[in-house]
Amino acid sequence: MSHTPQPQTTENAMDTVSHVKNSRRRIAATLAGVAGTIALAGCAQNAPQDTWVPKGDNAQKIDTLQKIVFPIAGIVGVLVLALAAYIFIKFRDKGQAIPAQSHGKPTVEIILTIVPALILTVVGVFTFRTIMDLAKTEDTQMVINVTGQQWWWEYDYPVQTEQGISQPIITSGQLVLPVGTNVLLRETSRDVIHSYWIPALNGKKDAVPGRIHLLRLQADKPGIYAGQCTEFCGLSHANMRMEAIALSKEDFAKWVANQQKAYTSPAEGTKAKEGETVFINQCSRCHQVNGLKDANGKAIISAPDENVYAGAAPNLSHLMSRNTFAGAMFDLVNQKCRDDVWNASSDAFGAKYLTGVTTDCLNEKNLRAWLRNAPAMKPMYSDPTKLAKTGGKYRGMPNLGLSEDDIDKVVAYLSTLK
Amino acid sequence: MFTPGSKYFLGLTGLALVSAVLYTFLVNPSDLGAYALFGLFLNAAVVAGFSFFTRDGDADTVEEAIAANTEASAPSFWPIVFALGGALVLLGLATNEVVFVIGLGVFAGGAIEWAIQNWADRASADSSFNSFVRHRAVGALDYPGLAAVALGVIAYLFSRIMLTVSKEQAPIIFIIAAAIVLTVGVLIGSKPEMRGKTSLIVVAGVLVLAIAGVSSGISGERHELAVVSEENPYAVANRECGAEASAHYDHIANNKVPLKSAVLATIFVKEGKISAQMVGLKKDVDTITIPRSNATSILFRNLDKEEHRLVANLGEVKVGSTDVMEKVGTCTQLTGKDQEQVLTVSIPKPSFANGPYSLTVPGIDGEIKVVVP
Repeated sequence: MSHTPQPQTTENAMDTVSHVKNSRRRIAATLAGVAGTIALAGCAQNAPQDTWVPKGDNAQKIDTLQKIVFPIAGIVGVLVLALAAYIFIKFRDKGQAIPAQSHGKPTVEIILTIVPALILTVVGVFTFRTIMDLAKTEDTQMVINVTGQQWWWEYDYPVQTEQGISQPIITSGQLVLPVGTNVLLRETSRDVIHSYWIPALNGKKDAVPGRIHLLRLQADKPGIYAGQCTEFCGLSHANMRMEAIALSKEDFAKWVANQQKAYTSPAEGTKAKEGETVFINQCSRCHQVNGLKDANGKAIISAPDENVYAGAAPNLSHLMSRNTFAGAMFDLVNQKCRDDVWNASSDAFGAKYLTGVTTDCLNEKNLRAWLRNAPAMKPMYSDPTKLAKTGGKYRGMPNLGLSEDDIDKVVAYLSTLK
Repeated sequence: MFTPGSKYFLGLTGLALVSAVLYTFLVNPSDLGAYALFGLFLNAAVVAGFSFFTRDGDADTVEEAIAANTEASAPSFWPIVFALGGALVLLGLATNEVVFVIGLGVFAGGAIEWAIQNWADRASADSSFNSFVRHRAVGALDYPGLAAVALGVIAYLFSRIMLTVSKEQAPIIFIIAAAIVLTVGVLIGSKPEMRGKTSLIVVAGVLVLAIAGVSSGISGERHELAVVSEENPYAVANRECGAEASAHYDHIANNKVPLKSAVLATIFVKEGKISAQMVGLKKDVDTITIPRSNATSILFRNLDKEEHRLVANLGEVKVGSTDVMEKVGTCTQLTGKDQEQVLTVSIPKPSFANGPYSLTVPGIDGEIKVVVP
């Protein structure tokens, strides 16, 4: 079968031109749609991790720097792209002769060296000043040790009598700090590199095993400031969240007093007391509850170093004073109570947060699901048949195989850890 | 049509795709291997596309491409290297990891060199031009690559020697070796006519280094390093951590190399007093808080005239199944005036359970309390 070339008619040529125009229109419409979507994404109302809304002195410094550097970089970027586009179009190959080649123009080269150098100098001055400001530690008023591990953050508050901390406090998921106070986080990690970032309060800082990195935080007003681990750290990196809770100084003192309160065992004969026994048998291998004792009055000391790869599991003393769990991934309070706290005014926030998780607010659904099968809720390396690489140790919480009855008891017990 | 380079990468693309699909269905779709194979597929496809599009970069004209098909390839030993690499990979899979990694390197090197030589041999009908093309393509990689391997081997052999000889002999050997390297370098640079003789010296030097390095590797590390690699100093019960010289700790360097910026606290001894500063706090503290179950470094700085050591007292443990309690702790070496050492501890139990914990300096009154929450 042979093909005979058909002569190009005027009609065919018109069709071709029309087809090209339609293709261009489609491409332009697609690009406009993508650009519009990106632009609209920046208009989200509920964006607690927005980097452009500083809520503290340190974040404000970064924001100020951004507002200087972004326009400069933007203008330079647009100019360069526009110039490149102009050159591509104007001097595209149309079959013309190649122009005479010369070896540069000293005047242009000098200008093109000096102008960027000046721009970089201006940007550099502001950048270095900000970096140095953010690296200060001499005005620290409070220190908190922050330790990352797969996939949660532990906070321990060293003894600091001037802050009312007469004995160490240990908590996880939510970092509590007093407003208007220069807090210095001493970050490290127990397993892999993580990165701590509360955008509203400061930039990000890596938490590296074997090293202590410092990060300043300061919040202007009471409230919750959300954050996210920003260094890929394994399976549940995306679920390694954190929340900084800023309280007025009076409320922070109340929080400290509550965290230092001695443990109270549930009353005999209650479901919570039965839950305490289940907890001792099933959970205390990894989770510490300070003050918890066995039937013989001997203190229960957890051994996460024997069971967990990182060597630590969240300390659950005063669990119900936080309103998240599992690396701040799940709420301990139901949606209504959560909204109530998140949307509270600065004045009312402290009282609402310090109320903790009441019986009415407890999100039993989340907690029960977690106790029933934690790996189904959050991806973790906790399949007992696949722990050869870690010497039999878990990374994350395994499925404990609790019965529904045991889950009821443990929920009742955990509810008492105010 | 298809150039040799694009054929090679298209083949790799197909192989990677088939492997990825088989791996996904037969092994585990969420396993890292599946991602790696799909990644290889995508990368190989991109490179194949570039290779095809650019006609391997150097086969500039159709005439050259046609000529390429008329010119027989020169004899090459790279297929042998390639096969040897494959054999080593298989052998390594059956024996040990080192052989596998070496095999992988030989395999990859052989494959790359073979492919490039084959490609260059077909670049034109002119063998001298082909040779030029080949050198241009791989010369920039061959020499730095071989130099890096040679330097790595020399550094490794030298490190074996340094780990075997005593601390006193090590600096002398280092000085002599540096002097020889400098002298040979100067000779090569200043007297080009002696290049032949100096090359002989270099070869002889490398041979001596190889013999000494292998002998050192076989005889093993010096005593204290061998001990530290076999024994966890922290697990040793609190012994010989007094003010006097210690046969144990004074010969065992801390096998971690933390930087000063990684310390949690600094302990000072000055004018017979012990004090502590924690990172981030302005004033001295009498208690330091150390996170549980995490290697934490503490810097000890002796500003006294006498030698001192820092001792971490980390509670007590039962001896075996008996009720006898034994103190647990560790310490630095004796540290002279204006010197400093790092003590790294990892404490698995909270201080309220196994404490109290403290940091002390034998011969100095006072202590720094250690709290582990």
